[in-house]
Amino acid sequence: MNVDLFLFYAFATLAIGSALLVVSLKNIARALFLFFVVLFAMAGLYLFALADFVAITQIMVYVGGVLILLLFAFMLSNKELLNDLQQTTGSLFSLPTWKVLPLILFFLGIMIYGIIEWQQSTPAWMTTAIQNNTVIKSTDNNIHQLGIKFMTQYVLPFEVISIFLMMALIGASHLSRKDLQK
Amino acid sequence: MITLTHFLVVSAFIFCIGLYAVLAKKNAIMILVGIELMINAAILNFVAFGKYDKINYGGQIFALFAIVLAAAAVAVGLAIILNVYRYYKTVNPDQIRELKD
Amino acid sequence: MDFLLNISPICTAFLTVVIPLLAFLYQAIVGKKDQSGLVGTLAIIFSFVLSLLTFLDVWNAMPLSSEITWFKIGNTTFTVGILLNNLSSLMLLLVSTIAVPVHIYSKSYMHGDAGIHRYWMYLSLFCFAMLGLVIMNNLLLMYVFWELVGFASYLLIGFWYTKDAAVQANKKAFLVNRIGDLGFLIGIAIVYSQFGTLNLVTLFGNDGLIANTSVENGLWISPHNSMDAIWLTVTGISFFLGAMAKSAQFPLHVWLPDAMEGPTSVSSLIHAATMVAAGVFLMSTLFPLFNDTVLLIIAIIGTTTATIAAYFALAQYDIKKILAFSTISQLGYMMVGIGIGTWDAAMFHLLTHAFFKCLLFLCAGAVIHEMAHLKAHSKQDFDPQDLRNMGGLRHYMPQTFILMTIASLALAGFPLTSGYLSKDSIIISAFEWASAKGPMFQIVPITLIIVSIMTAFYIGRLLFKAFFSELRIKSLLGSSVDLNESPKLMLWPMYFLGICCVFPLFSFNPISYHDAWVMDGLLVQYPYETNHTAHLVIPMILTVGALSVWVLAWRWYAQGQYPLHANSLANRISLNQGYLNIFNEKIIVNSVLNLSKLSYWIDRHIVDGFIHIFINFIQQIALLSHWLDKNIVDGLVNTFGKIALLLGNFARSTQNGKLQTYLYSVFLLVIVGLVYLLLR
Repeated sequence: MNVDLFLFYAFATLAIGSALLVVSLKNIARALFLFFVVLFAMAGLYLFALADFVAITQIMVYVGGVLILLLFAFMLSNKELLNDLQQTTGSLFSLPTWKVLPLILFFLGIMIYGIIEWQQSTPAWMTTAIQNNTVIKSTDNNIHQLGIKFMTQYVLPFEVISIFLMMALIGASHLSRKDLQK
Repeated sequence: MITLTHFLVVSAFIFCIGLYAVLAKKNAIMILVGIELMINAAILNFVAFGKYDKINYGGQIFALFAIVLAAAAVAVGLAIILNVYRYYKTVNPDQIRELKD
Repeated sequence: MDFLLNISPICTAFLTVVIPLLAFLYQAIVGKKDQSGLVGTLAIIFSFVLSLLTFLDVWNAMPLSSEITWFKIGNTTFTVGILLNNLSSLMLLLVSTIAVPVHIYSKSYMHGDAGIHRYWMYLSLFCFAMLGLVIMNNLLLMYVFWELVGFASYLLIGFWYTKDAAVQANKKAFLVNRIGDLGFLIGIAIVYSQFGTLNLVTLFGNDGLIANTSVENGLWISPHNSMDAIWLTVTGISFFLGAMAKSAQFPLHVWLPDAMEGPTSVSSLIHAATMVAAGVFLMSTLFPLFNDTVLLIIAIIGTTTATIAAYFALAQYDIKKILAFSTISQLGYMMVGIGIGTWDAAMFHLLTHAFFKCLLFLCAGAVIHEMAHLKAHSKQDFDPQDLRNMGGLRHYMPQTFILMTIASLALAGFPLTSGYLSKDSIIISAFEWASAKGPMFQIVPITLIIVSIMTAFYIGRLLFKAFFSELRIKSLLGSSVDLNESPKLMLWPMYFLGICCVFPLFSFNPISYHDAWVMDGLLVQYPYETNHTAHLVIPMILTVGALSVWVLAWRWYAQGQYPLHANSLANRISLNQGYLNIFNEKIIVNSVLNLSKLSYWIDRHIVDGFIHIFINFIQQIALLSHWLDKNIVDGLVNTFGKIALLLGNFARSTQNGKLQTYLYSVFLLVIVGLVYLLLR
């Protein structure tokens, strides 16, 4: 077993295990901090898909933005659960919801089945890419290429998304204004 | 050798966990977390497939777009949650039943 | 008075009967408020006047009858009506005549009793029933009144219902009378099946059904039907059984001594003068129905009753018990009179006996009344009815003593009294009858003579023990003896009855009963010759015998020279009424009780056992069907209900307003779509 596969499994295990803990912990504050770990592990997994810029963005946007927001929202919204932070008694995990669990497992089975089925027939664009040797290599400068692509080929969606992001942020700040009615 | 299947299986797990959080958790913030998990699983799929598209870089670019959109969604969602909390004094979706006839 | 005479006798007779009924109804409605009994007394006085008018109209005139339709069964019409002939009008007069003094006497005697309103009510009911009984023209109606009379008697015996003895006595009287009533009913049934009617006029009229009936070749033939000749005897015996119970003939006499538990005035009216005479009246009415066998049985039973009752009367200590046995004995005489075919003599004796026995009871009542007062004043405990506690009463109650003596003389049959006439008529007729029949039958008149002398002895004993010598409980009382003459209200009725006890009222010839107007009025043709020697000898024997035993009684009781051992066997048997009650108790009552116990056991264990098994079986079936119903039928219905409920709940849950449930449903649909895609 080579090192990169070992690291991949380590990151995958870390991501899945942390995600499981996130959904099964009672204490939401702890769950949110564990969510960091999940995001970090996911960023690590992106690296294995040779998407280094995406991984960096992930860490910056999520950890720097989303998580801070989540923590703020959590602290603003739930006084009773803030008390849970001081609480040490009681069980750590909440019980799984029995109505949802079989459905999720069934869906997982369907997806795994679909993935295995899909393995038999690789799509044509992938085989041609492999044949033309147009597959991203670990030696490629991704950030350079991505910058060119954003400013040329994907300039319209890039601008649209920028405006959209701005609108969303303005809307969000408007919504969370205290004197909404006045 | 890390194949495409590895990524797909991992993303399937993460997606399912996110889905579980959305359907089962009794806190709106955790539902948002579940949504983020599902989006992350989708992003993982984007970048995994994007490996085979060096000409357009479609996978990675859309992964970036998705991250931005997710961030925007979280911002709006959290604002909505705060308003809901102000209005109902709770963030438990079971106790918010205005959709009922 | 003219307008009164224009009213038809039927109407007056009807009113005679109805007025006491109205009084009864009035007293029943008013209840406790009527303490005086004025209404009842006035009613019976009216009845007396009306019955007198009736009697004057009917006596020695054509018999009258009137009837209206009562009800119809098939082709047979039952009528309700009144029959007035010499017999019934005589009885009507007798009953009302006796009832008037008793009512007046009761006003004083029963004064202050807590239940006096009931007393007047029952007394009026009795008068109504008794008067109705004598004038009914239909056997069925007679039976109805017969029962009513028995019922009134039952109520009056148990008048003091808190006394256990009174309750036992009225129960006994009722039960014994049931036996007789059964006989009466059987007789009625046979008569109806033989003649097809119960109307007395149709049956016993001059050209009635009985007159056209004959016995030929062992068949009893009437214009309506014919049956075996034995039935004629059975009919007679059945009716006689009814009369035996009512008139206290041996062995059904046991109820009468116990019936003395009632008030003394009641005993005088009902259990001495009128009701017990109803049996004799019935026998007289039905006389043409009896054949020789039945008449002989009647004569034998009558003689036996007379003898045994007289013997029992000899040693009784209770003043009322002596008179009760005396009544039974005299009723035996009357039955002998019926049995030998001279029912006019029987009726004559009934008439005279009613007066003097009623007077005897009223005198005894006065004595008991005063003794009870004495007991209450002196606060000593003694039995006011016991002869042994009395004595020397003539000093304290002279008028009562005189009246009692007159009545006793009449009972003993001394010349110049009414009893002499009537008793002689029976004994002489019996002698003539025996002469015609044969030497064996002489037993009857000889026994009757002996009984007559016994009668004189026991009534003499009563008189001397109670009124002569010294008061036996004087030592108990100390110096003050607070005994007085009875109140006037009690003495007047007694005087009236005392006048009725002497001969002129019945016959102007004090020696010969043939001149008595009663005998002339009833006029029975005797089937045997008149014996003139007997007419001379027998009264002499009786008078001499009675005089000698009175002298004996005087010596024994008034002068205290009693020669016999008080506890001898003969005395004991007499005192205990021949142990008849104990015999009944031991043999009849116990065997009936054991039989009932046996049948109860059979009923309980065998009949009920089957029923229980059957019930269990049914119960099991019911339980099974219950189970089926509950689990299968209801289960089916409930299942449908539950399915509908589940469906409803399911449909409801999709609309519960929960965001996550909606999401869940959507996602479920996605999975279904995916599965479809995969399996396509």
